Amino acid sequence: MKELIEYIADQLVEDKSQVSVTEMEENGRIRIELKVAKDDMGRVIGKGGRVANSIRVLLRVAAARENKRATLDIVEP
Amino acid sequence: MEEGNKTTLEVIGPSVEEAIENGLDQLGLPRDAVDVEILDEGQNGFLGIGSRQVRIRMTLVHPEIDMESQEVDFNGSSTEMVNPEDMDELEEAKFKAKEIVENLLRATKVKATVAARILEPEDDHDHPMILIEVSGKDLSILIGKRAETLNSLQYVTSLILNQQIGHWMPLMIDVQGYRFRRERQLRQLARRLADQVIQTGRKQVLEPMPANERRLIHLELRYHPFVTTESIGEEPNRRTTIILKPKE
Repeated sequence: MKELIEYIADQLVEDKSQVSVTEMEENGRIRIELKVAKDDMGRVIGKGGRVANSIRVLLRVAAARENKRATLDIVEP
Repeated sequence: MEEGNKTTLEVIGPSVEEAIENGLDQLGLPRDAVDVEILDEGQNGFLGIGSRQVRIRMTLVHPEIDMESQEVDFNGSSTEMVNPEDMDELEEAKFKAKEIVENLLRATKVKATVAARILEPEDDHDHPMILIEVSGKDLSILIGKRAETLNSLQYVTSLILNQQIGHWMPLMIDVQGYRFRRERQLRQLARRLADQVIQTGRKQVLEPMPANERRLIHLELRYHPFVTTESIGEEPNRRTTIILKPKE
């Protein structure tokens, strides 16, 4: 799951050096935190959150393959 | 369709035939992909009083549509109309798009075969489009409810490709022929509703649909002599309407 988010974020941002993805498990739920440079926030969130929502849909597929649930939070550095 | 989701659908309609058609439209599936069970035969009533709609339940027969049923007839898939100078750029974009989809699927742990090709524009106003075809077993997870997953995969792929080549390139991803079954149904629906508009003189408002599906309705009726189309409302509830052309 982390691999998926890393790949997408790396491909969408201008500043790859600022991309960091952490995966945490809390009560059986996976929480993925994505950090990107301030100027790249818009590229991973999109107008009205459209990009972020599409990434979440794909994350849901990846999580379902492992019979898990996952959430994605995008945070500013 | 999605994992954990129901593979049955209950639909209502004024007649059994229309209920089945409604359901197939929603699922984007051919008639032989579902079993139909009539739950309520409905009642005609008298002058509309006491009438009841027909209620049916459709069950997916083949959760994975077999490959043979995909006799996809594209309206020309050769690239001979494409300008030679644009060819290299197109071929490169096609190759990159395929790679992106493969990477995304690998990262999602979905095993599938990915093929890419270039679709010729439907007419001079249109642009060539990259078509990525994903095939394999148990891929309904990649389509999702109302193609939500497929559209997300397509959107993310388009965004990454845009970032890699520096400009937008029309791109469509299909899984197990889903888009082409859906396209055929939407084009039929467009023609049928256009006929109704002509007969009744009243506009027809379609269900909310994503942009690529609204585009098909517009395309199908673009040269229609009597009706014209427009989309109203905001995403994700934007609907295409079919209206009579004003008399000149």
